[in-house]
Amino acid sequence: MPEDHRTGTAAFASSGTVVALPQADTAQGQDHLTWAYQTHVTAIYQYIYGRVGNRPDAEDLTAQVFMKAISGMRSDVSVPELRSWLYRVAQTTLADHWREYYAEDTGELDDDVTRPPAPRENPEAVLRVDSLLATLPESYRRVLELRFLRGYSVRETAQELNLSETNVKVLQFRALNRAGRDRWRTT
Amino acid sequence: MNDDPEQLDQHVEDLLQDRRPERTPLPDAAALRARQTAAMLRAAKPGAGLPSKEFLERMQGSIHEWVGEQSARPQPAARPSRRSLLLTGAAGIAAGLAAAVGIDRLSKSPAPTANQQLVENGSWKAVKAVAELPEATPVAFRAGAIEGFLIRHGQEVKGLSAVCTHMGCILNYSKFRDQFECPCHGATFKKNGQATDQYDTPLPTLPSLEVRIQHGQVEVYTV
Repeated sequence: MPEDHRTGTAAFASSGTVVALPQADTAQGQDHLTWAYQTHVTAIYQYIYGRVGNRPDAEDLTAQVFMKAISGMRSDVSVPELRSWLYRVAQTTLADHWREYYAEDTGELDDDVTRPPAPRENPEAVLRVDSLLATLPESYRRVLELRFLRGYSVRETAQELNLSETNVKVLQFRALNRAGRDRWRTT
Repeated sequence: MNDDPEQLDQHVEDLLQDRRPERTPLPDAAALRARQTAAMLRAAKPGAGLPSKEFLERMQGSIHEWVGEQSARPQPAARPSRRSLLLTGAAGIAAGLAAAVGIDRLSKSPAPTANQQLVENGSWKAVKAVAELPEATPVAFRAGAIEGFLIRHGQEVKGLSAVCTHMGCILNYSKFRDQFECPCHGATFKKNGQATDQYDTPLPTLPSLEVRIQHGQVEVYTV
């Protein structure tokens, strides 16, 4: 990218609240729009990862979200607008994704689309999980902690809890179903 | 067909290995919710859920392409003729500051010095009480257009910009590793603002912010 396209972009308005950037028709205007999207990739990825829990799906869905969002968005858009648009597209994309598993509109949980993304080591997920685990009976909490937060295998979990592997899977099954039901009720 | 522990565990195992789970049709909404809950738990594992560098690079290219295609398309007549991108509010100006730092780097002029003044025609705003600041542990703040960290050493408080000098994302401070970390492409900075992670060209040091202490309050010069 030629260097001179970057100069003069950080113009402060006298009010200090608005930065007017070059027109989107120009190559440099596009760069800014591109850049505004790019700064949201990590946050949207984390948002989606927290809902699908695996990398390949999170990557595919994140790419889909941006492709849809960019083709449906005006280019004279403010950053807060762009952000809430991205989250909205992420929600519908996730809803479609779940529909592939289960042919009924289950909706998406607990989503405040206006919330600004704050990408960290997924603090949102950590907080939600802490409060969820706190509501579960001890044995359910234990099995989920060992399996998910500490990454124990079924066999290791069985040894730790002094159960058979089959029992660990049954306990995990009950814990996830109970937690899923609780989440749905409380939101 | 009913959901069962064996089938659910297969799904859990896939998530734990970061594999794409099989798309087995599910018997009911409860089975779906159990899987959604598993995903949420999976994402809470320390270190999970950050995109890979390869993926971010790929996305960067794709977004560039898509935005180009989008603006090449004819626009409806009703749309404003001046399609300027307005970045409003603090995030926007933080972005602007990042761009300013970026320019220096691209044009190979000297990296911003520690005392480079980022703000013109601003004013002093109180952001934290000195008493709230732990010794030597950076505390994040946002004041007007500025996002930064305050670091107290004894009675002295220093301010550092929280905008990554790579591409302008907002840095996090990791207590565990005692450094600033960029969520976007993984750049890292020491607590004095010096970049520790080398890219193709060395990253500039994080600019210092003008701070002062008034009546026990740390004030930052900001717009």
